[in-house]
Amino acid sequence: MPNAPFSLKLYRLLLKFYPAGFRYDYAGPMEREFRDELAESTGALVLARLWIRLLADLAVSIPLQFLREVSQDARHTLRLWANRPWQMGFAILALAIGTGANTGVFSVVNALLLRSLPFREPERLASLGTFLPPHGSATEFHEWRQQQSAYLSDAALIEQFDVNLGGVQNAIRAHISNTSWNFFAILGVQPVIGRNFQDGEDAHGNIAAAIVSYGLWQQLFAGDQRVLGSTIRVNGAPVIIVGVAPAGFGYPGNTVLWKAADYSPGNNGWETIARLKPGVTWPQARAAFEVEADRLWPQRDRIGNSERYPRMASLQNELAGPVKNASLMLMVGVALILLIACSNVANLLLARTADRTTELSIRCALGASRARIAQQLLTECLLLSFVSAIAGLFVALWTTSVAAKVQPAPLSTQSYSILGGPVLAFAVAVAIASSVLFGVLPSLYASRVHPFGTRGSSGTRSLRLVREALVAAQVMLTIVLLTASVSMGRAFLNLMKTDRGFGTKGLVTVSVSLDGTTHALDGRRLPYFEESLDRIRRLRGVQDASETEFLPLGANGFVGGPFGFDGRPAKLNSTMIPVMSDYFQTMGGHILYGREFNDAEVHSDANVAVVNERFATEFGSAANAIGHEVTIGRHTRMRIIGVVKGMDYMAETMDTAHSNQIFVPAHSPGGFVSTFVARVDGRAEDWLPAIRDTISSVDKQVPVFAAKTMEQRMNEVVARPKFYRTAVLCFAAFAMLLAVIGIYGVVSYAVALRTREMGVRLALGATPIRLRGSLLRQGLLSVAIGAIFGIAAAMVTGRFLESLIDGAKSTEPTTLILAILSIGLIASASIWAGTRRIARLDVLDILRIE
Amino acid sequence: MFHILLSLGEGERHGYAIKREISRRTDGKLKLGSGKLYGSIKRMLELGLIEESDDRPDPHLDDERRRYYRITSYGRKVAQAEAERMRKLAHLATTTFGLPKHA
Repeated sequence: MPNAPFSLKLYRLLLKFYPAGFRYDYAGPMEREFRDELAESTGALVLARLWIRLLADLAVSIPLQFLREVSQDARHTLRLWANRPWQMGFAILALAIGTGANTGVFSVVNALLLRSLPFREPERLASLGTFLPPHGSATEFHEWRQQQSAYLSDAALIEQFDVNLGGVQNAIRAHISNTSWNFFAILGVQPVIGRNFQDGEDAHGNIAAAIVSYGLWQQLFAGDQRVLGSTIRVNGAPVIIVGVAPAGFGYPGNTVLWKAADYSPGNNGWETIARLKPGVTWPQARAAFEVEADRLWPQRDRIGNSERYPRMASLQNELAGPVKNASLMLMVGVALILLIACSNVANLLLARTADRTTELSIRCALGASRARIAQQLLTECLLLSFVSAIAGLFVALWTTSVAAKVQPAPLSTQSYSILGGPVLAFAVAVAIASSVLFGVLPSLYASRVHPFGTRGSSGTRSLRLVREALVAAQVMLTIVLLTASVSMGRAFLNLMKTDRGFGTKGLVTVSVSLDGTTHALDGRRLPYFEESLDRIRRLRGVQDASETEFLPLGANGFVGGPFGFDGRPAKLNSTMIPVMSDYFQTMGGHILYGREFNDAEVHSDANVAVVNERFATEFGSAANAIGHEVTIGRHTRMRIIGVVKGMDYMAETMDTAHSNQIFVPAHSPGGFVSTFVARVDGRAEDWLPAIRDTISSVDKQVPVFAAKTMEQRMNEVVARPKFYRTAVLCFAAFAMLLAVIGIYGVVSYAVALRTREMGVRLALGATPIRLRGSLLRQGLLSVAIGAIFGIAAAMVTGRFLESLIDGAKSTEPTTLILAILSIGLIASASIWAGTRRIARLDVLDILRIE
Repeated sequence: MFHILLSLGEGERHGYAIKREISRRTDGKLKLGSGKLYGSIKRMLELGLIEESDDRPDPHLDDERRRYYRITSYGRKVAQAEAERMRKLAHLATTTFGLPKHA
């Protein structure tokens, strides 16, 4: 029979798929039977039927046997874990944090860099940054665009801003974009209903056409098809809705409405995007673009403003920009951490495998095959990585939610989700890779297990050195992170304690915008604000209320200039902040001398000013400033009626309180971001709806938005420093955990290998305590080496942190001593725990085994 | 499993012989695959229904890779109990429905 050898070979191969235990017992008889059956089957048809029967049998029985053996192994594993709950708990925790952090960071990298943008051929899209093409009129821009056809197939202009959106009643504050008509065409995005902008629709004189976002369509029109052709007002000016963008599309910057651009020569708030011409490479396009930029702006280098330097970058990179490098660096960091975690767990398992030598030898002696034992160890590893991967998903979930808060994705379609195919695949790959990493050493060790017991081989010397170097490295890392977290924690406390010139408790803030409303006319502004303030002040429980054109912490633009004192110019430029009456009283500010504005002064636009201490002291003592004048140019003079402590106006830098601030009566408010402030009894949060409703009751057409307590605004400002502090603290805690596992693993492995030597020494009269003491001394040696490097590294990072974070002090000696003491204590405890078995050793038992 | 016990009732057999015996008794209707057979044997060994026998009927003829099994006294009792249960069940069925006419 020509097929016989082949059939037999195939069958033997298939038998290998049985689990080790079953294969060991029954592969022989099964093969024997197969030979018998093969001998009886003659003819191709009979042979084919035999094979069909065999395959069906294998398909059912292989998984069945696997299930049985694996569940046996799993039960055994769980029993082993239950014997050492602490060890396994630590190991699972370390791996969970390691895999979780990796998965979480990967989901960010995946969202920003790997997943492509939701546009047509996104890799051919370019951002020209703030490069300004000719934009005096639609014709000018479109002519320029067509002239670039050598390297660009198209280019579009975008301008984003916040507006009041809606009909006459119930306007909302919204983020919109003005674009050239070809914006959607260049991205390759089609409206879900309606049409795209058409050629010429951005020309001057047309009633603007608009496309609304899917979300806005649902919110304002409840998904009604009749949205097409309806009119919506943007800052009071009507636009006609011609289309609805696909769900999730909000480029740029969560725009809810796109309308045709408003070209004018003076406008320079444009961004330009472009699509490369087919066949043109990026370097070619860049070169061509730079020639064009040089032609248009020959003087660009002399302007000395690097932001204005024209640059062509891929749109994907540009969008990922701020997050890209940080997340790639984090990726490398967390990968390293996972490696350390794996090697520590490997050490731990190695020690345990060495410990279980007796158990494994007995099983060998009882007839368990080597493959069967390897299978058992493999199941242990897989179960460990499986359990920790599940726990890791929670860590990943937490990581992504934190990342979304600290550094949100530029497009809403790029949300960091761990429930996507690639991310879950990555998580599984990480889990498997790590289980291989930490499983290899123990299995290698186990493969040397001999049925007659092992001779105490102590592992090669170099391996031991590697393990101890690892411990030293971890001690160093822990010290660095501990000291860093202490100094960052201190910096954060300082940040919270800093007096910013106002109180946050019980302070409610609500913004309004008069853009496009009937109150926007000059004479009608103040009455609206006076009426609103009056209604707020009449609420029972409101202590004080006022209004300002710039709210502390939230300002991103200022008016002001070179103001003077009695005609003498100040050294620094001053910022001018229009406020209404009782502003300082409401904000909990500090009036040092004099008083603040009253209602009459605001109403009559009196020529009075309140200056901050910084400004006043530049011209003599602050107390004497009262009665003098603030001068702007030659003609404007304002009598100083009060001197106050300045307030922190910028979110980022802390030194705005040290700049010149001139407060003036807000006689014509509503020109900037006008914000009502109110000091209330009780919890400020509870007051938000009441005050918002009171303001909107004055006139429904004025959008009321950003209703927040001052504490909430403060929390937004400190969110990032707070995140850094928490992150470093978590890293430090994790490093400590890893150090514990690492030290414990190394020590207990050493003890397990030297059991016999210990037994002999015990028999010769050494006490367990003395043996453990000598091991403690040896173990602490590598810890000490790590600590020395740690101190040096902590000094360096301390300086680095000082330059990086406001208020972070370089590492102080007390912090260092504290860090070293704590790591020393923890290391000693780990070593002591690792040598615990010495105390339980029975000399006779050990010597009997020998 | 019951079939395996039955086939071992007349003496010890090796795996292939058990399969052939079962196939013969059921007129070829039940053909057990090797995987299922040894899976069952493994369980029955664990349960103590059968045991592996060390002596071979004819060492000259036989391959050492074959394994022989025999029923234990416990296995015999289990088989008897199962037969008794089936007899009662059959009895109940015949008293309820009667025997088929052509039988």
